[in-house]
Amino acid sequence: MLMAIALALTSGVLVGVNRQVNGTLAFFLSPLRASFINHLLGVGLLTLAGLAVGGLFTPTALSAPWYAYFGGPLGVLFVAGSSWLILRISAVSTTMLLISGQLLSGVALDIVRAVPGSPTARVTGIAMILAGVVLMHRRR
Amino acid sequence: MIRPASGGALLLVALGTGCLPTLMLSFNSELAAHGGALFASWAAHGTGTIAALMMLLVLAGIGWGQRPPQAGRAPLWAYLGGCTGAVNVMLSSTAVNAGLALAGTQAVALSGQMLFGLAADRWGLLGLPRRPLSLSKALPIGLIVCGSMVILLFDTGLR
Repeated sequence: MLMAIALALTSGVLVGVNRQVNGTLAFFLSPLRASFINHLLGVGLLTLAGLAVGGLFTPTALSAPWYAYFGGPLGVLFVAGSSWLILRISAVSTTMLLISGQLLSGVALDIVRAVPGSPTARVTGIAMILAGVVLMHRRR
Repeated sequence: MIRPASGGALLLVALGTGCLPTLMLSFNSELAAHGGALFASWAAHGTGTIAALMMLLVLAGIGWGQRPPQAGRAPLWAYLGGCTGAVNVMLSSTAVNAGLALAGTQAVALSGQMLFGLAADRWGLLGLPRRPLSLSKALPIGLIVCGSMVILLFDTGLR
């Protein structure tokens, strides 16, 4: 379990590093160009990994529905949007606002899909997040 | 120079961008369910590369040029952001399978993101300016982090 926590913590730090590095690149190119280079390097490295380790294409790979391939294009907008933000507000504010959007949309999606969950936890959590966003926004 | 944005524009971009990971996670995990994690990440980065290229071409076509905010050359390390994306997929999926589950992994990763953000602002890490934390931000940060933890850890919906 300690190992899992260490991995997850490192993963979170890497998300922050990625935002900071792409933000710096966006400073010299543009947010969208930085996002393009981020994805180009990613697919290059993963192709190499696939060639080295194997198992990139499984027989069932192409059975995924067409819309599942929209995760990548959305990722382009995510990296570009994050870079645009971090050039204008602090790393902490960027992180906090992005996390708020993520959880608010996540709960909204769960409610639309009628995923069972705790209404108390949802209402309490959303109220705290919204209060935090309003406070952060007003005091900037 | 960075063109400053109004508070409303910042909020709109931030909340809109923040919605994306939920959809990305949903689509990418669908790909992973069919073709495995490596294929999912490869396909996401591949389609992303093509999509970004198309967006750049369209923007150039309608004359909305991408003007760099800063003249000069970016340091070499700034081009290496894609490495962390590729490694991150492996780390987070291992953490999920090693007992933390989806919500636990996200809760811990969120703490990692926040700690890095605090350090980055405090010391101006990786090329971006120092923006020391003012005390007035401690309360909103606390509220957002605690609210996120409440949802991630006590709402049993899958995220």
